Amino acid sequence: MTWTDSQSWASSLMGPTPLAVSIAILLVLTIPLFLHLLIYRSTTSTTLPSFLLVGPSGAGKTALLTLFERGQHAETRTSQVPLSVEVSLPVSTKAVSSKYRSVNDPSNQAHKKFLLADTPGHGKLRHHAFDSVIKPQNLKGIIFMVDAADMSMGTSGAGNEPLHQAAEYLHDILLLLQKRSTRSKTSKAPRELPVLIAANKLDLFTALPPPLVKTALESEISNVRSSRATGLLDSGIGMNDLDIGEEKEWLGNGGDGKFEFSQMDEVNIAVSVAGGNVLGADESDVKQWWDWIAGNL
Amino acid sequence: MLDGFEILTTSGVVLWSKSYAPVSSSVIDSFIRDVFIEEKVLPGASVADDTSATQNPSYKRDQYTLKWASVKDMGLIFVAVYQSLLHLSWIDKLLDNIRIIFVDLYKDQLRKPHTSVVECDFDGYFDQQIRELESAAEKNPTRIAQPLLAELTPPSSSESGHEGPPPPLPGLAPGYLKKQQINGDSTDASPIPTPDTSRPSTPAAHILAGKSGPKGGSRRARKAVTNPANVSSGDERKAKPKKETGKKMRRWDADGLADEEDGAVLDYSAQSPQENGAAKSEYISGVDSIDSQSFGTRTTKGQFVLKDLDSEVHSILEGANEKKAQSSSSKSGLVGSSLGAISGLFRNVVGGNVLTKEDLVKPIRAIEEHLLNKNVAREAAVRLCEGVERELIGVKTASFESVETTIRSAMESSLRRILTPTTSLDILRSISSVTSPSQLNPLSPQPRPYVISIVGVNGVGKSTNLSKLAFFLLQNRFNLLIAACDTFRSGAVEQLRVHARNLKELAEREKLGKVELYEKGYGKDAANIAKDAVAYAAQQHFDVVLIDTAGRRHNDTRLMSNLEKFGNFANPDKILMVGEALVGSDSVGQARSFNAAFGSKRRLDGFIISKCDTVGDMVGTLVSMVHATGIPVVFLGVGQHYGDLRTLNVSWAVDMLMT
Ligand SMILES: Nc1nc2c(ncn2[C@@H]2O[C@H](COP(=O)(O)OP(=O)(O)OP(=O)(O)O)[C@@H](O)[C@H]2O)c(=O)[nH]1
Ligand SMILES: [Mg+2]
Repeated sequence: MTWTDSQSWASSLMGPTPLAVSIAILLVLTIPLFLHLLIYRSTTSTTLPSFLLVGPSGAGKTALLTLFERGQHAETRTSQVPLSVEVSLPVSTKAVSSKYRSVNDPSNQAHKKFLLADTPGHGKLRHHAFDSVIKPQNLKGIIFMVDAADMSMGTSGAGNEPLHQAAEYLHDILLLLQKRSTRSKTSKAPRELPVLIAANKLDLFTALPPPLVKTALESEISNVRSSRATGLLDSGIGMNDLDIGEEKEWLGNGGDGKFEFSQMDEVNIAVSVAGGNVLGADESDVKQWWDWIAGNL
Repeated sequence: MLDGFEILTTSGVVLWSKSYAPVSSSVIDSFIRDVFIEEKVLPGASVADDTSATQNPSYKRDQYTLKWASVKDMGLIFVAVYQSLLHLSWIDKLLDNIRIIFVDLYKDQLRKPHTSVVECDFDGYFDQQIRELESAAEKNPTRIAQPLLAELTPPSSSESGHEGPPPPLPGLAPGYLKKQQINGDSTDASPIPTPDTSRPSTPAAHILAGKSGPKGGSRRARKAVTNPANVSSGDERKAKPKKETGKKMRRWDADGLADEEDGAVLDYSAQSPQENGAAKSEYISGVDSIDSQSFGTRTTKGQFVLKDLDSEVHSILEGANEKKAQSSSSKSGLVGSSLGAISGLFRNVVGGNVLTKEDLVKPIRAIEEHLLNKNVAREAAVRLCEGVERELIGVKTASFESVETTIRSAMESSLRRILTPTTSLDILRSISSVTSPSQLNPLSPQPRPYVISIVGVNGVGKSTNLSKLAFFLLQNRFNLLIAACDTFRSGAVEQLRVHARNLKELAEREKLGKVELYEKGYGKDAANIAKDAVAYAAQQHFDVVLIDTAGRRHNDTRLMSNLEKFGNFANPDKILMVGEALVGSDSVGQARSFNAAFGSKRRLDGFIISKCDTVGDMVGTLVSMVHATGIPVVFLGVGQHYGDLRTLNVSWAVDMLMT
C-alpha cells in the first residue's frame, strides 16, 4: 500500500495540479529576486565611495573620524589598525553629484553616504596607508591630516622634527600616487585623485595658519626630495637581477628645484589645503573639510 | 585604588572609560606604542591563555602602573591604571571579569562593520565588579589589600572611632561585614574624598539601611518615603537605565549617600564623634535585625535589585567558564575528537576557524624551521613565533583562508613591523642639521662637525664599510676627516691609509668633497685620539668625522669596557655597529653586548649589515640583530666596491625571508 501511496504522491506532484503549478510559479518568481537581492547586497557595500585619512600620529585622524560619524568627537588613543566607518554628509552640505536632484529625491539619501577609512600614523604602521593607496576601492580622495600646532616651532629647516616627519610621509604618499598614475598611463588616463591637506588643531594659539602650513610643507618636501635624490639606493633595487632596469622616480617634474603642490596637477592630483579643528574651546570647525568632501563625492 | 580604567579598540577609539583621578592621555598612548607597536616590552615567556591579564606583563610609566587584557578578534584592549606604589591584588581578576562581561554584553555591536560606535551603559557592571572584588580581597586578611585600605581611608573616619575594617564581631553576618567594607572603599573611590563626604561611611548610615530595609514595601512606596540610605545604587540603575549616566556614577561612588537628594544622610555626616559612638552601639544591635530579616527573606527591594545585577554578572561569568570547560572536554571524547577533526579539516579549507594553541603548534613549528633556515638566530625565531602565536590564539581565520596562510601573513606583518624603523633614518639630513643649523632660529646651536663612529667584532668589514660610507658622503659634497682609532691590530692604520688615498683620488677626479686621514700610530689610547680628531675637525671646519675603532670580541670584557670611555670622549652623533650577514646565532649576543657597552646613557644608533651579497636570500641576521635590540638597520653592504652600500628596503627583506 505504501508503494502506491508514495507513487500517487509523486505523480500528483508531477501532474498539472494547481498546487504543483503554484509552487513552480512561486519558485520561478522568487529565485531571481532572491539572487538579485543577494548579489546587490554584497556589492553595494564595496561600491560606496570612500575617502582615506592619512597623516602622522597624533594629528587627530581618529578624532575626526568619530566626529564625522557621530557628530561629536570621542576620546581617542594611538591607533594600531585601520578602521573604516560609514559616514553620511550633514544635511547642510550637498554632494556635487546630487546637485541637480530634487530635494525630495529618495536617492539623495543613498548618495550622501561614503566610507571614511582611518589609518594608523605611527612610523611602523604606515604600510596600511600605502596599501590602501595602491589598491583603492572606489577611492574619491585622500585627506592628509597634520597637526598645525605641532609644526610651528621655527618656520622650517633642520630642527623641526614634526614638520619633517609630516613632509616625509606626505612625500611618500604623493610619490605613490604619482607612480600609480604614470604607470597606468598606457591603458587609460587615470581618474583625478584629489588630496586635501587638513591643518588640524587651529584652536590652539600656537598653530600655524593653513597658508603657512602649505609653504612649510612645500619647502620641507623639497628638502626630502633632494636628500632622496642624493641618497643611497635601497636594497630592493638591483639586488635581484630582475628589476635592474627600474629607475628611481622623483616627485614632481624632474625632481629638482623647489617643490610646489601645483606640480602635482600634471599627474592629475589636485592638492588643496584647508584648516580646521576637531576639538576646541567653543566648537569644532570642520566646515571646510566637509565642503571639500562634498565637492569630491 | 584605581586611577582609571579604559576599554579601547585597536583602531584607537575609547569605548568606555572611568577615571577616578586625572591621568594624562599620553600615558596610555605611550603604553600602546611601547607594548603593541614597537614591542619594547617583551612579553612573558608563557603564551598559554594569552588574553588573560595575569599573562601580560605590567607596564610602568611615570608614577603609574598599567595592567591590561585584550580580546584579539574583536580588537579590544582593557587597561587599568593605578599608582605604582599600590599593590592591588585583584586587578587581574577585575580585568578578566570585565573583559568577559563587556564582550558578552556588547558582542553584537562590536562585530558590526563600518562603525566605531558601541552604545554601552557599562558603569553599573563595572562598579559591581569593583565592589565585589575589593570586598573579596578584604575578607581575606592575608591579602595586601587590607593594610592598603586602612592607609588610604581618610583620617576623619578613623577619628570617629572607626578604624578601617572593623574587627569581625561575633554574630555579625558575613554579608553585612562585606557591605560595610564596600562602603569604606567606595568613598576612597570617589574623586575628591573630602573629610565630610567620607564620613557617611561610618556605621550610622547602615543602621538606616538595616532598619528601614524590611519596612519598605513596594518600590514605589519606598520611593515616596525617599528613604535615602535604602536607595541602593543598583535600584537607581534599573529605574533610570538610560539617562543621567554621569550622575549615576556619582551615586555609585558613595553608595547613594552623597547624592544631592539625600539631605538626611548629609545630616549624619555632620554628626559629632560622640553621636557617632552612640550610633555605633546602635549599629551593633541593628546587625541582628539585618541578619534575621533581610538576609533570611530578602524582601528588601533595594537589595533584591542589587542581587539582580549581581546574578546577571555571575551568570555571564559562569557561562564563560562553562564554555571554556566544554571546549576543553569536547576534545576528549572519541566521537567528539573525530568529528572535531573532520570539521576542523573542513574549516581549515573554508576558513572561519577559531584558532587554538593545538591548531597552531604544527604550522608554527614549520615556520620557525623556515626562519632558522633563513639564518635567523634561534632566539629571535622562537620569540617571533611566540609573538605570532600569541597574536593568533583565539582569532577566527578569514573565510577561505587556511591556518598556514593566516600564520604566514601574521609573520609577515610582524617582520615588517620589526624591521621598519620608528623614525626616519635620513643620515644626510641629520648631518646638515648639525653642520649648518637653521640661521633663522636664534636658539639653534653653533655649527660643528658630525661624528660617526663604527664599531664591531673583528673581521666583519668595519674599515671597508667606513670607506663606503665615506664615499657616499663625499658624493654629497661633505668634507671628511677619517680618524684611525684602531691602535691595536697591526696593519689597521695602513689599511685605512690606502682607503683614504683611493677616496682622495676618486674625489679629486669627480670633484667631490675633500677627505683627510687623522692618524697617531699604534699603542696610544683610542679614546684620546678620537677626542683630538674631533677637536681638529672642528678647528679645520670638516663636516663629518668618521672614526674607525679596533675590532673586539663581544665577550672580551676588557676591550668592551674601553668602549664606554671612548663614547664619552668622542661623543659621537651616531654609533653604528657593523655585523656580518654570515654570522648565525652569534648575532644576537653581539648586538646585545655592543648595545650595552656604551654605559647606561648611550645606545647604538644603527647597524650596518655587511656582506649581504654573499648570503642570497638568507638575510636572517637582519632580523636577529634588530630583534635583539630594537635598533634599526641603517645600511647594507652589498659588494666590494665603494658604491656597494644600500639602505634597507623592508618589503624586499620581508620577501626574502618569507619565500
Ligand atoms: N586641541 C586640539 N586637539 C585635538 C584636535 N583634534 C584632535 N586632537 C587631539 O589630538 C590627539 C590625537 O588624536 P587622534 O585622533 O587619536 O590622532 P590620530 O591621528 O588618530 O593618531 P594615530 O592614531 O596615532 O595615527 C587626541 O588627544 C585628540 O584629542 C583639535 O582640533 N584640537
Ligand atoms: Mg588614530
